[in-house]
Amino acid sequence: MSEISQELDARGLNCPLPILRAKKSIGSLASGQVLRITATDPGSVKDFEAFCKQTGNALLSSTEADGAFIFDIRKS
Amino acid sequence: MAKRLKATERKASILAVAKVLFADKGYHGVSVDEIAKRLGVSPAILYQHFPSKEALYEHVLAENSAKRESYIEAILTEPTDFVSVLKRMTHLYVENIAKDPDFLRMELMSAMEDSQTATAFFERRWRAITDYIEYSLNELNTDQKIVRCNPQLAGLLFQGMLREILYTKYITVNYRYKDMPLSSMTDELVTMFVKAVGVET
Repeated sequence: MSEISQELDARGLNCPLPILRAKKSIGSLASGQVLRITATDPGSVKDFEAFCKQTGNALLSSTEADGAFIFDIRKS
Repeated sequence: MAKRLKATERKASILAVAKVLFADKGYHGVSVDEIAKRLGVSPAILYQHFPSKEALYEHVLAENSAKRESYIEAILTEPTDFVSVLKRMTHLYVENIAKDPDFLRMELMSAMEDSQTATAFFERRWRAITDYIEYSLNELNTDQKIVRCNPQLAGLLFQGMLREILYTKYITVNYRYKDMPLSSMTDELVTMFVKAVGVET
């Protein structure tokens, strides 16, 4: 399992805020580092898939637990 | 006599007709008989799918307030400065409204009749834009790139102006603006707005 370099709490936020915050957080990471995002907006599942596709970063995992969605993204 | 439809098709056709009538006349202005007559079926058929007019209305509203735009591409495509992204998001939004202006009427009706649905319309349809404005202006304020303004109020200002343009084009159909294409009104609106909040373009 990859080591998490930074965590982002995007709970309670709706599209496009989780994406904007993730974009900013990833900007401060080095290549290969992993950002973990926790969100509650069900639309975020599709949004982060599209985000990774568009930005070229790798979506390592997308899971759901207790009404929250957790995404691990490795910076390209 | 209406031809026989499968249950799912019948339900979809009821919702489509009901949407147009509710958008036109509001909840109280439409009767089940009228919807049935427009569909060419008996009211009993309608009641097979929806137990009451209220249930049908709620279904139509839920269906319309649940749609939401995907702004991922608008946000991530270069250039990603505030004005370019806001322009792309706004164009995407107005193009979707132009395809289905009944949404505006439903929103207006729901604001008068039911605050819960009006809130759902805001959360699903408007909030992405106001949130984007608020977030970006907060960032610009923090970085001292603009003269301090109230980001929350700016979001509301933009929503109000955009909604008025859409009402003018699709609800009141004001002749004064008939020669102005929606797309150029949208561009002009964004330009005026960013000047008003002190963002340099």
